[in-house]
Amino acid sequence: MVPETSRGSESRSSSLNGLPNTALPPQPSESSDPQKAPVPKPMSAMQTRSGRGSNRQDSSDERLEREFKAKHLGSLGVLGWILFIHVVGIFFFTKGFLLTRMVLENKSSCQVLPFEDSSKLSAVSKNDGGCWHRKSFDKAIVIIIDALRYDFTVPFAPTAEGESAQLFHDNIPILYETAVNTPENAFLLPFIADPPTTTLQRLKGLTTGTLPTFVDAGSNFAGTAIDEDNLVAQLRAAGKNLVHLGDDTWHSLFPNYFDANLTRPFDSFNVWDLHTVDNGVNDHLFPLLRSENVTKWDVIFGHYLGVDHAGHRYGPNHPAMGAKLRQMDQVVRDLIAALDDKTLLVVMGDHGMDAKGDHGGESSDEVDAALWMYSKKSIFGRTSPEAAIPPKTARERFVPQIDLVPTLSLLLGLPIPFNNLGSPIEEAFSGRHGNDWKNLVDVNRLASAQIKRYQHEYAVTRGAGDGQEFQSLELWEAAESAWQKSPKSGKSNAAAMRPIYGSYREYQRETLNICRGLWAKFHVPSMIQGVGILFAGVFLLVLYARGVRSDRTALTKPLLLSVAAGSGSGALFGAALAFGGVFDMPVTESSALLAATGSIVGASWAMIVKPQHLALPLPNSLWGWLAVIFTVSQSFGFASNSYTIWEDEILLFFLCTFGVIGGISSMRQKTTSDRVLGVYHSILFVILGRIASFSRLCREEQMPFCRSTYYASATSSTSAPWQLVIPFLVTLILPAVVKSFYAGSKSYEGVATLWIGVGFRLGLFLTSVFWMLEGADDGEWIPISKGMLKSTRVFLAQLVLGLAFGAGTTAFIYSKPCVSISVTQGNADSEGRSKSPSSAQQPGRTTVTILGFANIYGTRFFLLVVNFALGIILMQKPMGQGAMGLLLWQILSLLEILDTNALVLGNSAIGPVVLALLGSFYYFKTGHQAVLSSIQWETAFIPLSTVKYPWSPIIVILNTFGPQILTAIAVPLTVLWKRPLQLNDQSRAQASTTSRAPASKILSDIVQAACTYILYFATINLATTMWAGHLRRHLMLYRIFSPRFMMGAAVLGVVDIVLILFSVGGIRWSMLSVGEIFGW
Amino acid sequence: MSTSTQTPTNPAPPAAQKITPPTQILNTTIAKLYSTIHPLVLLILVTVRFDALVQDPISELLNDLPFLVGLQLLFVVLCLPPAGADEKHDPVHKSKAGIRRRVKTDAVGGVSGIVAGFIPGVLSLILTTLLATPVLTLLLVLFGAPATTHHAQTVLAGAHMAVLASPPLIYVHGVDGSVWREVWGANRPGDVVWGGALGTCVGAWFGAVPVPLDWDRPWQAFPITVLVGAYIGYAVGVWLGGSVLFGRRLKIEEDEDLDLDSEVEGKKTE
Repeated sequence: MVPETSRGSESRSSSLNGLPNTALPPQPSESSDPQKAPVPKPMSAMQTRSGRGSNRQDSSDERLEREFKAKHLGSLGVLGWILFIHVVGIFFFTKGFLLTRMVLENKSSCQVLPFEDSSKLSAVSKNDGGCWHRKSFDKAIVIIIDALRYDFTVPFAPTAEGESAQLFHDNIPILYETAVNTPENAFLLPFIADPPTTTLQRLKGLTTGTLPTFVDAGSNFAGTAIDEDNLVAQLRAAGKNLVHLGDDTWHSLFPNYFDANLTRPFDSFNVWDLHTVDNGVNDHLFPLLRSENVTKWDVIFGHYLGVDHAGHRYGPNHPAMGAKLRQMDQVVRDLIAALDDKTLLVVMGDHGMDAKGDHGGESSDEVDAALWMYSKKSIFGRTSPEAAIPPKTARERFVPQIDLVPTLSLLLGLPIPFNNLGSPIEEAFSGRHGNDWKNLVDVNRLASAQIKRYQHEYAVTRGAGDGQEFQSLELWEAAESAWQKSPKSGKSNAAAMRPIYGSYREYQRETLNICRGLWAKFHVPSMIQGVGILFAGVFLLVLYARGVRSDRTALTKPLLLSVAAGSGSGALFGAALAFGGVFDMPVTESSALLAATGSIVGASWAMIVKPQHLALPLPNSLWGWLAVIFTVSQSFGFASNSYTIWEDEILLFFLCTFGVIGGISSMRQKTTSDRVLGVYHSILFVILGRIASFSRLCREEQMPFCRSTYYASATSSTSAPWQLVIPFLVTLILPAVVKSFYAGSKSYEGVATLWIGVGFRLGLFLTSVFWMLEGADDGEWIPISKGMLKSTRVFLAQLVLGLAFGAGTTAFIYSKPCVSISVTQGNADSEGRSKSPSSAQQPGRTTVTILGFANIYGTRFFLLVVNFALGIILMQKPMGQGAMGLLLWQILSLLEILDTNALVLGNSAIGPVVLALLGSFYYFKTGHQAVLSSIQWETAFIPLSTVKYPWSPIIVILNTFGPQILTAIAVPLTVLWKRPLQLNDQSRAQASTTSRAPASKILSDIVQAACTYILYFATINLATTMWAGHLRRHLMLYRIFSPRFMMGAAVLGVVDIVLILFSVGGIRWSMLSVGEIFGW
Repeated sequence: MSTSTQTPTNPAPPAAQKITPPTQILNTTIAKLYSTIHPLVLLILVTVRFDALVQDPISELLNDLPFLVGLQLLFVVLCLPPAGADEKHDPVHKSKAGIRRRVKTDAVGGVSGIVAGFIPGVLSLILTTLLATPVLTLLLVLFGAPATTHHAQTVLAGAHMAVLASPPLIYVHGVDGSVWREVWGANRPGDVVWGGALGTCVGAWFGAVPVPLDWDRPWQAFPITVLVGAYIGYAVGVWLGGSVLFGRRLKIEEDEDLDLDSEVEGKKTE
């Protein structure tokens, strides 16, 4: 990499070894501070060395080097064990917490009836035009009025004394009027949503007929397109021409299903706009109903958003809501007027809204929607006189929303979608007199048979008969046998048919309940096992990171031995228990569980058995307390949805607190240079953080108190043109900033000049060009073909990655420390200022000048941070690049604050913890939030054209957790920055032959810092895990607590791995590099 | 780094550095009485005006500001020795009379307390307006107060905090560089003056805690809780500074001897 420099230092250092004379190092910038000018020490070592003969020194160096390498591997082993504990804990909690439903790819088809023996379908095969059942309508208009709550649609009925109608009452009477006045043409029912009551999840339910779970395993996790069998797909398969108007969520769910010419999607995000979507739908809907257009379509889906937006913006009790509902009333009246006989009109809400007009949770107000069906044909009926008028409240005679799926399917003559769990709605099939029991039995038998088929297929795919699933099958058998016995001929026989209908219904509802329990029931014992392991992990980490007083590297061997013994016997025991049938879980799981438990016991024994190693892990300074307060208060905060939502602001608050206290503490320092530097960097630290805080991507819950700045607008995910300037600013400023920090300790020497001055700058410049091209592609500024632009970009990105991780790693592994050593003959007196006493004995023969001595460990290791910074910056959007630049600057500033306040050598917890805070803070400043939707999947295509494993996931991780990764890489610097070089004294090495090498002290400090850093994330992970488990029935579980738990777990895993592989792992090369030049 | 003194009994200063002992309340009955009442008066003011504050923070904060300034001036003039006052106001520290402890020496002798306090009083007002208010406003913004909106609220909150924290400090210490270095280092020994100032800031810090909660209470709006926190912090700080924590200093650094290892190593290298 750096032939010139490395040759220079090599030759000089060797000549230095052979010189039987004095060397005279200049003291670095802080030379006035004796604590920071360790220079005499190496010189004395060199003198001793030269005095006693180099052979002995060499062998001693070799021994120390071997010892260091062994201890280093041992330390990685300990970190690996910590990772193991975390993985096992998270696995067991997740197993019980994140319930998944398998998505079956099976599709129902017209030709295959759901019955096992297809010969028995004589009764239904006379379908006139319908598939499984005779159809009632050819065409349908399905109108969704987003957030149409049931009580909006029925006359106001006071439930308590003195209650008066609110502004949302009695504004959309048409639905109720028609249902009461012409019951054979219309019915109105409460329509209960399955939470989460968000539009996307609801549309899934309304079209597939199945229940939502947090993770639909098997579905494409990145995309949102529905790949289960569904109503829209069945319509499409039946050759219907589909039109969609309104909310564009439909298009992410059903891409390419709709007639491109007639369909008009509208952006659904701008909740402040009440009218654009609704007017747009009206403008395109009514022309389609004119006679000349009526042949162009078969089914129209119209999705109005005004009511929902009025709720979000004003809440339900507001004149705007009244006006909006009246507008909807008029829309329905106009539709009725324009409707023909063959067309079914459905109007429904996909969910309700709470008292503030918001939704997402599972409160009654949020799940209570309304369903109204209308037809000019008289086909709807009521089976009992009580059902003559629509229910007063949503708690009576309600139907689940999934019932829409079989109902619409059978009315339109389609097969019922394979995954459906809903039941046909009684009113739609009971005939105009409400006594067509035969029809009811037919449709319910079909629906039941399909449910049974699904149940069977699910059990087969799952690979286990669960027992539970078969309970409801008895009901099926009973219904089926009753049906077989019933008379097949003649008019419908109410007395005989009614109970059969009832038993089919019973089977359907029972199955629905079972599935609900299956997919929404948490496995609490497994969750507790997970939390227990994580808790023990945090406890041991506290002991190991903050309680161990002696050299950690000396503890490594006994610790690893007892961990190995414990986990080994635990694994065997667990396997035995699983085989013996004591544990009801697979062998691997049971042995992993007991291995983790065993290793915890073993590690506790290893640490606690020798109490002289341990001290009470309590902070002994304000700094330590600050670290504890930051970590613990945040952990408690995650029990509240507000503190989870506003995590970014809280992190800013904490970081600013640290900066202010850093400034205060710096004012107390004795030397002026410490005071000035410390205060300067504290102010810088605080201001940089505040600047970074302007980069935000707001989550939904932060509205309306937050304004997104990360992209061009709140509704786009592309950068504004002005944001493309940011990468160039970063290119211009960041290398200079890094250089200035190197120059501060005269360390901008050797490889640093080339790598930071040229390599880093070049990489950043290429990154800027990349994002400029990306912007040009988005905005179509350059008349070059998209393919050409794309391949150019991919090439540039790969070049940057090659530079960062290929060339960068080579440079990191093989380069010499960032020092410059020069030897001048004679005339040492000219540099009298820096003369050290030991050199005064033999004045003026040869002077060895070492520049960059004061920060030899720090600057050498920081090269790795630069490599990763370059790679991560490439993966960020332009705004995020600015944020990452600020992060790198803040890290350097933090290191200086730590140094001026004597926290580097003090092994204070505050350094790693503030780094962790920085990592978490910048996670939010690079366009992320603790929600799944903020993952920037498209970054996988920055250096690649297609998805390639394992690279694509790694790239997305680099984008998502880039800040945490960068700070994890920087962790060793909290004990290395400006750490004086300490070498093994010959006399000392002889006196105590064992392990008092300074290198092992450094290693111990680094492991301590790394464990403290992990401790922050492990505590946060434990807290979010516990809260998610504890609040598993909370309204906001899916929106807030679950995503935060998943983020905490993912971050912990990533941080553990990065620390092992790169951060602490990389120490090996930077220490070897220093040791090679200066000995051990 | 280990020279930070824990108690006033063990000051252990570096040789040539002058020390400024903690400030005593003036030795008059009215001073002793009012210094106890003053924090209570402020707290009562907050309680009484709380609803109005929630209703219309800007005008309420603006209207309250003159009263607050008046009360604070009354407090410093009645209870505290002005900068440059003679040692006779401070009988406890007579033994250290030899140490020069005030920058200004012109207001000595028969001049009455009020007149002697005139210049420091004016000075404290000027500096509070010109220096403390902008600095505290800036700090509020740095800690996350809205930067693009709510300017009036932020400035007024900064002004209130400044009026709470700084006039006593300036009135008592003037522009004594060594004292202010201790103030910037949060290293003053505890007394009513320093306790009030530190309490204001710490209280405001804690006052920010309820802001993000989704209770939808009108009083959660910035800067109400921050200011209430500052007022409570001031009152508590004045009380603690004058009693329990009198003469004690805030410690930041670790005690070095706790790190046995490095000490052993240190000895070996000597």
